[in-house]
Amino acid sequence: MNPAATHRRVLACAATVIAAGMLLTACGGDKDKGASGTDAKAAGAKTSKVTITITDKGCAPSPAKAPAGTVKFSVANKNSAKVTEAELQDGGKMLGEKENLTPGLSGDFTLNLDKGTYSVYCPGASADRAAFTVTGAVVKTWKDDPQLVAATEQYGTWIDGEVKQLVTTTAAFTAAVKAGKLDDAKTLYGKARIHYERIEPTAEIWGDLDGRIDGRADDAATPADFTGFHRLEQAIWQKKSLAGTAKLADQLNADVKSLDDQVPTVEYQPAVIANGATDLVNEIQSSKITGEEERYSHIDLLDFDGNLAGANEAVDVLMPTLKKKDPALAAEVTQRYQATAAALKKYAATPGYEDSGYVDYQKVTDAQRRTLSQTVDAYAESVSKIAGKIA
Amino acid sequence: MTDSTPDSAPDITPEPDARRPEQAAVSRRRLLGAVGAGAAVAGAAVGVGGTVLAGGGSSGSGGDGSGGAAGSQVVAFRDGHQAGIATPSQDRLCFAAFDAVPGATRADLADLLKTWTAAAEAMTLGRPVPGDAGDLNTPPDDTGEAVGLAPGHLTVTIGYGPSLFDGRFGLAARRPSALRTLPRLPRDELDPAGSGGDLCVQACADDPQVAFHAVRNLRRLAFGTLAPRWMELGFGRTSSTSPQQATPRNLLGFKDGTRNIDGTDASMMAEHVWIGDEEPQRWARGGSYLVSRKIQMRLEQWDRDRLGDQQDVFGRFKSSGAPLTGKTESDTPDFHARSGGQYVIPADAHIRLAAHENNNGLRILRRGYSYTDGIDPETGDLLGGLFFVAFMKSPEQFVTLQRVLGAHDALNEYIQHVGSGVFVAPPGLAAGQDWSGQLFG
Repeated sequence: MNPAATHRRVLACAATVIAAGMLLTACGGDKDKGASGTDAKAAGAKTSKVTITITDKGCAPSPAKAPAGTVKFSVANKNSAKVTEAELQDGGKMLGEKENLTPGLSGDFTLNLDKGTYSVYCPGASADRAAFTVTGAVVKTWKDDPQLVAATEQYGTWIDGEVKQLVTTTAAFTAAVKAGKLDDAKTLYGKARIHYERIEPTAEIWGDLDGRIDGRADDAATPADFTGFHRLEQAIWQKKSLAGTAKLADQLNADVKSLDDQVPTVEYQPAVIANGATDLVNEIQSSKITGEEERYSHIDLLDFDGNLAGANEAVDVLMPTLKKKDPALAAEVTQRYQATAAALKKYAATPGYEDSGYVDYQKVTDAQRRTLSQTVDAYAESVSKIAGKIA
Repeated sequence: MTDSTPDSAPDITPEPDARRPEQAAVSRRRLLGAVGAGAAVAGAAVGVGGTVLAGGGSSGSGGDGSGGAAGSQVVAFRDGHQAGIATPSQDRLCFAAFDAVPGATRADLADLLKTWTAAAEAMTLGRPVPGDAGDLNTPPDDTGEAVGLAPGHLTVTIGYGPSLFDGRFGLAARRPSALRTLPRLPRDELDPAGSGGDLCVQACADDPQVAFHAVRNLRRLAFGTLAPRWMELGFGRTSSTSPQQATPRNLLGFKDGTRNIDGTDASMMAEHVWIGDEEPQRWARGGSYLVSRKIQMRLEQWDRDRLGDQQDVFGRFKSSGAPLTGKTESDTPDFHARSGGQYVIPADAHIRLAAHENNNGLRILRRGYSYTDGIDPETGDLLGGLFFVAFMKSPEQFVTLQRVLGAHDALNEYIQHVGSGVFVAPPGLAAGQDWSGQLFG
C-alpha cells in the first residue's frame, strides 16, 4: 500500500500510544474513557440524573441508585451554613465533588460509573455519609466475549509468526543482493514479499516504516527517499544490476527487524481485524489487479495470494462469532472467498515465474484481469460487512 | 435516429432549488466523515464523528418545466406498466447492462431482484437505499450522493436480455417469444464489450447525479450475482414522448423525435409499444421490448457539411425542424412532392426511410439521449453521438426499420452503430409484487 501520507483505515477509530506499546482501539471500545461520542453511543447515550440536597442533617442522594454508565449529580444547598460540599467516594477515594455551595447555591458534576457501591460524603453534616448503588454491568464490550478475545489472540499470534518469517526471508533476500547474485535475488524476492503482503494492515501502523519498506517510486518525495523492497525490485528487474544496492539492503533488513520488535506490542480488536481484512482485499483490487505494486518484477499474483491469505486469516478467526451473529453473511463470505481463491488458482504454476508459484502477471490478459477483479470485488463487499456484525 | 422539429432551441430552464422537505419517513443517512488517523495520537483517543451530508437541491434541466416541491417530482413506481417508458422523457439517463457472474444461482438472482425492487422503489421516492442504522463499524447501505437532492422524476426500468433465459436460472420456459439477439444489421460494427447483457437497468431523472446514484447503488447490491458489462450516461433527451414537451435536438443539431409516438396516447401505445395478448408468456404482457443502440456520430465531418446537404440528409430544415415540403415542424412530410424532376425530400433522406407511411405503418417509441465519451485516443476527435433507446411490441419493428436505414440512409456517412442491446422490459408491478416473483412466477 502507500506509505505514511495515506489515510489509514486500519486506524479509523482511535489510536493511543502508551508506554507499553500500541493499542488499537476499535470504535465504541474502552468504556473507562467514557469521553468519545462513540462510547456514549455504545452505552445507549443515556445519562442518569441524581439529586443531592445538602442540609445540616445530611446529603442523601435521590434516587439512591443508578444503572452503570453516565451519572449526573445535581447538588443543591437549601439552607445549611454548616455543610457546603458533597462528593462521591469509592471506598474513601474521591471521584467527583461540588464544593463551596453556600445556602441557595447549586451545581453539578458528572461521572462515568461502573457497577458497585459508592458513598455520597458531605463533611459537617450529622449523617455525613449516604450510600449510593450502581447496578448492572457496563455495556458489554468484545472483551466480555471469550470467543472474540481468543480470536484477537489467535490473530496476533499469526501476525507475529508471519513477521518472524518476514525477517528470515528478508535476510536471505538481502544477503543475495549484497553478494551480487542477481538470479538468486530474483527468486528470493517473492519469498519475502508474501509475508509482508499478508500482514500489511498491521505493518501500516508504522507509517514511516511501511513507507521505507514498501514505498513505490512515485511515493518518494526525492529519489533518495525511494528505498525498500520496490527499490531493489527496480534494480533487479529494470536496471538488471545490483551495483550500489548494499546500503539499501542493509536498511531494509534493519527496518524489517524493527517491525519485528514493534509488532508484538500491538493489541488487536475484532472490528479492527475485520476492517483490516477489507483493506487487504481492497489492496488486491487497487494495486495487484492493476499490476501497480510489482511493476518491475510482475509477481503481482504472489502479492495477491499474500493479501488474500491475510484477509482470510482475519476472517477465519472471527468466523465462529460471525456464524453465530449472522450465519447468512458467514456463508456468503466463505463462498466468495472460495470463488476468489479458485479464480486465482487458475494462474498457479510450479515452480512458476521467478519461483513465485504463479505465472508472469504480464501474461494475464485484460479480460482475465477483469474477471479476477469482479470476484475480488464481490468478496470485498461481503468482508466489509463483518465488522458491523461482530462489534 | 430521428425525425425532427420546432422552431427554437430545446427548452432548457434551470429548475428552482428543490430541496426535499424534512420528513420523518426520509431517514437522512449518517456517513462516516473522513477520519484522518494516519498518525497515532499520544494519549488521546480520536473520536469519529458521523457527518450528515445535506446537499442543496440540484438543478437539472426540467424538460417538462415542472420544478417545485419534491412531492411533485415523484413518478409512481408501481403501475400497470413500468415507469420510464410512457413517462415524459426526463433530461438525463444512466443506463447499465449487467451479466450474471459465473456460479450465480437462481436463488441468488431471485434474492437480488427482491432487494432491487425495494431499493429502486425507495430511490424513486427520493429516499436512500433501505437499511442504514448509522453504525460506525459498517459501510453505509446507501452511497450517499443523492442526500438532499429532490427525487427528480427518477424512474428505474428493468429489462431482461435473451441470455438470461438460457439454462442457468431455469428460465428457459419463460422466455418471451420474440426475445432473441438482434440479427446482424447492415453496416453494424458492434463492440461486443459494449453490447448485449443478461439484464439492464435504465435510470432516468432530471438530475444526472440522481440517475447515476440509482445505477451505482443497484450495482453495489448486485455484487456476487451480477457484474456490470457496460454503462452509458446520457444527457439531453433526444425525443419527446409527450405533447407537452418541446422537441429537443440531437448532437447533429436537428430536432429529433418530431413524429414520435405520444406516450399518453393509449391506443397508439397498445398498438405499437406494449406487449399484448399475442404473447404466449402471460407474465410479459403489458411489458415492452427495449432496443438500445449506441450510435457514434462523426461530429467534425458533419459540422463541415454544407447546410443544404445536412437538410437533404434529414429531409428537414435545420432551424425550424419543418419537413423540406412544409413550413412548420408539425407539418406532415409530403414524400411525393418533386421539384425539377427530383424528390424534394430526397430518396435517401432519413425521415423518408424512417416514416411509418413508407414502412407499412411501422412505429416505435423512441426515448434516446445524447452521450459523449470524451476524445478519441486515435484521432483526437470528439467521441459522442446518440444513445438510442426505443420501446416496441416486438424487436422485429426495429429490425425492419434498421434494415432499410442501415442500407440506404444518407446519414450513414456520418454515423456508426457501435453498440447494441435487446431486452424485455416486464410489465409494471402490482402492490406487494416484486421483480423476482414476477420473473420466476
